[in-house]
Amino acid sequence: MLKDLFLLGFIGLLLLLGLKRPFIWVLAYIYIDIVAPQKIGWGLIQSFQLSLITFVAAFAGWLLLDSKYGSRFTFRQGLILVLLAWCGMTTLGAEFQDSAWAKWDWVWKALIFAAFLPLTLRTKLRIEAAVTFVVLAVGTIAINGGIKTVFGGGGYGELRLLVDENSGMYEGSIISTVAIATIPLALWVARHTSIFPRHWTTWAFTAGLVFACLLIPVGTSARTGLICILVLGVLLLRSVRYRFLYAGAASLAMMAAVPFLPQSYVERMETIVGFRGDQSASTRLVVWQWTIDYAKEHPLGGGFDAYRANSFTYNTVVTSGEGPMRRVEYREVTETARAYHSSYFELLGEQGYFGLAIWLLLQGLGVWHMESLRRRFRRRDGDNRSWQWGLATALQQAHLVYLVGAVFVGIAYQPFLFMLVGLQCALWSYVQRVEGREWRAKLAPRSRPVPSTA
Amino acid sequence: MVDIFTLALTHGLMAFAAWRLIQRDELDEEGEGQPRSRWLKKRAPTSPAERDG
Repeated sequence: MLKDLFLLGFIGLLLLLGLKRPFIWVLAYIYIDIVAPQKIGWGLIQSFQLSLITFVAAFAGWLLLDSKYGSRFTFRQGLILVLLAWCGMTTLGAEFQDSAWAKWDWVWKALIFAAFLPLTLRTKLRIEAAVTFVVLAVGTIAINGGIKTVFGGGGYGELRLLVDENSGMYEGSIISTVAIATIPLALWVARHTSIFPRHWTTWAFTAGLVFACLLIPVGTSARTGLICILVLGVLLLRSVRYRFLYAGAASLAMMAAVPFLPQSYVERMETIVGFRGDQSASTRLVVWQWTIDYAKEHPLGGGFDAYRANSFTYNTVVTSGEGPMRRVEYREVTETARAYHSSYFELLGEQGYFGLAIWLLLQGLGVWHMESLRRRFRRRDGDNRSWQWGLATALQQAHLVYLVGAVFVGIAYQPFLFMLVGLQCALWSYVQRVEGREWRAKLAPRSRPVPSTA
Repeated sequence: MVDIFTLALTHGLMAFAAWRLIQRDELDEEGEGQPRSRWLKKRAPTSPAERDG
């Protein structure tokens, strides 16, 4: 009950502050979409449609109260809307109507918000504020899980993260991927923040947050998380200033960490290599094969949750008894409705070739746009100190980590991914607008001298 | 206990951030032709927006 009041008080405060500057409502929506405070509370808070209230506030605040100066609609936002329309169409013709509509219910919000978010992020401070809120919102879950992992509350499917259910952002593999993807964003905030004091306390908090994020895959024993950590480790090699120092420190930290890892975690991670003997991994391969065949029959996609159509029959080995009485039996097992466990196959099965192509284009363009921003600012400044270079790098790293994690987890429509996409669109369009203007201003005096006003 | 600590910490920081944000005019409008580097900014006369923030 106390928690409910606390969370409601916090949301009330954000709504109130939004009266002065409506952009705060956008931040409130980001917070609610990631943390889902209505799931943390027990009674009172669940009776409010928090997500809807803040979404309406954010949208109406932008439409009616905010200036539209600098709002640009980018190509990728258009792609998001095409994907949304396509998902709507496949949902209408979905094989499993009930579950398809249940999924549509949250997917459309994530997509609409991603298309809307860049319109509101017109200034540098707004972009920074949005990244800060994403980091702190994910941090709420990650710090909680990190502390619990340190005190031994972890285990596969056992780590209790603020809520009692193992779904949405609170599912083990999803939060592992998201937590690792958040690390570069957290580091960017610490380096370039203008909201918090640039002080050792900010760095101390960030160090704690990064450590907590690294602990999430340990706490949840999610194998995907370990792969994400390795990917991020390699990606950081590209962007850190002192490569050798970083590589040395990272390997030292890794060696120092191994003795502290719980045995259950080490055992589970060893199954990454010997995945053929592991049921969870081998059914994945079967489901993926099934999806490829399914897409051949349904090239336009089967709608959300089309995986429910699958069923697999295979033999398992069951041993019973001891010593001479030991019996080995082969039993035929049939499993139905195995989830995709991969975002790429999730897209292929649910949205067909076209949906997958749009989604891939949306993601691929993001990686490419961030790369071209990195080059542009490196060329302009000769070093990597600008906030734009840093943010493009952080967003690209977060995105790539997520896209690798997405190979093993069905997270194709998670709001977090679409927030990354929205932030990328915002940064891209901000740079085009502001830098383009500065570039033109630089060229202007040559052709047409402006009288000095000084 | 851990839950309360985490909620207080991150929500406190978000509330602090929101409080600081509403006091800054650059949140909604960016001044035209502001000096880009921090070095130049220190030397440029402070705008009313910055003094308020």
